[in-house]
Amino acid sequence: MSACKRVQQWATFARTWHIFDCKWQDPYQSAGVIKKYLMGMHKPIYHPLNDCGDVVVCINSREIALRGEDWRRRAYFHHTGYPGGASWTLAWELHNKDPTMIIRKAVYRAMQGNLQRRHTMERLFIYPGEDIPEDVLQNVTNQIRQLRLVPTRLDHIPEEEVKNYPKVMDYPEDYILK
Amino acid sequence: MSNKNLFLKSGFIRAPIQNGVGRFVPQLQRIVLKFCKTYGASQGLREFIEQDLVDFAKENPSVVVYLKPRRHRGPVIVAEYLNGDRVWMSVHNKTHSEITKWIEVLRTQQGDISSLRLRKYQYTDYPSVQGPWTPFTFKDPELNTAQLPDPHFGANDRLPITATEKLRLLFEKQKLSDVKTAE
Repeated sequence: MSACKRVQQWATFARTWHIFDCKWQDPYQSAGVIKKYLMGMHKPIYHPLNDCGDVVVCINSREIALRGEDWRRRAYFHHTGYPGGASWTLAWELHNKDPTMIIRKAVYRAMQGNLQRRHTMERLFIYPGEDIPEDVLQNVTNQIRQLRLVPTRLDHIPEEEVKNYPKVMDYPEDYILK
Repeated sequence: MSNKNLFLKSGFIRAPIQNGVGRFVPQLQRIVLKFCKTYGASQGLREFIEQDLVDFAKENPSVVVYLKPRRHRGPVIVAEYLNGDRVWMSVHNKTHSEITKWIEVLRTQQGDISSLRLRKYQYTDYPSVQGPWTPFTFKDPELNTAQLPDPHFGANDRLPITATEKLRLLFEKQKLSDVKTAE
């Protein structure tokens, strides 16, 4: 193989790093997207036997959004292996203990249970907040688009913008806001 | 496909490098004809040796021809090639004309092509005119200078427009038309 082709090989199979902002995202729907990047399924060269998976860095995992009653109702099962070792942890309890655990388990469950899964999971980095190590951030070259729009709170919008926003009607003078 | 437990070699289809352009390098180096002088199975090979072998050797001065008579054993042709391949072929009960054709095959082929499993039925040195794909092909050039994470690259840009946004745009449009009518 000539030197030029060798460099071409490195370029094609280069491992790139992606960043994903979990803020207000459903972890179970995002897991499907993250999984594709981790396994390299977004590449035209994808093949299950070639090592083309990318690295994904998830930030703001503390601020994920679960659907409906999931925080209170969804239970995560664990068994120690000893008799009576079963335990069920509710989603909110798990999230208080480790804010990265729900998204990690969601991605793990989104992938097929084969021998490659644990190695693929090693390429997933999850951080509960915005601040991530500098050596991780400097590798990132792409951002994965979120699935949902992040809602903005009214008190976080500048007052100027709120005042200039078009109104359909004004409240009457004697109207009492609750 | 796994080929680990098969003995068949695998490879890609390819022409000898520039062979025949300018000059031709004969690929067959040596051919050994093994036969028996009495057995009927060697009849065809014996006829070939009697009638055609001298002409064959004269026409192909680059090929070393050996004859190996051996008693009471089957007729065999062994061909050795420039690339080191060795083809063993039984010509048991083959007629004179069949053997003439097989020897022509052995003379013209390059190496042991019949015992090669082709991984693909086509081959090219230039698989792509525009160049192979890399992770940075078709990427937005803005990403080169962007400071990630950035909501501009992270927000979903494929959602339909919201009613609130639509209302705001209507209002903007109305304001513009008001200004125009005032003028």
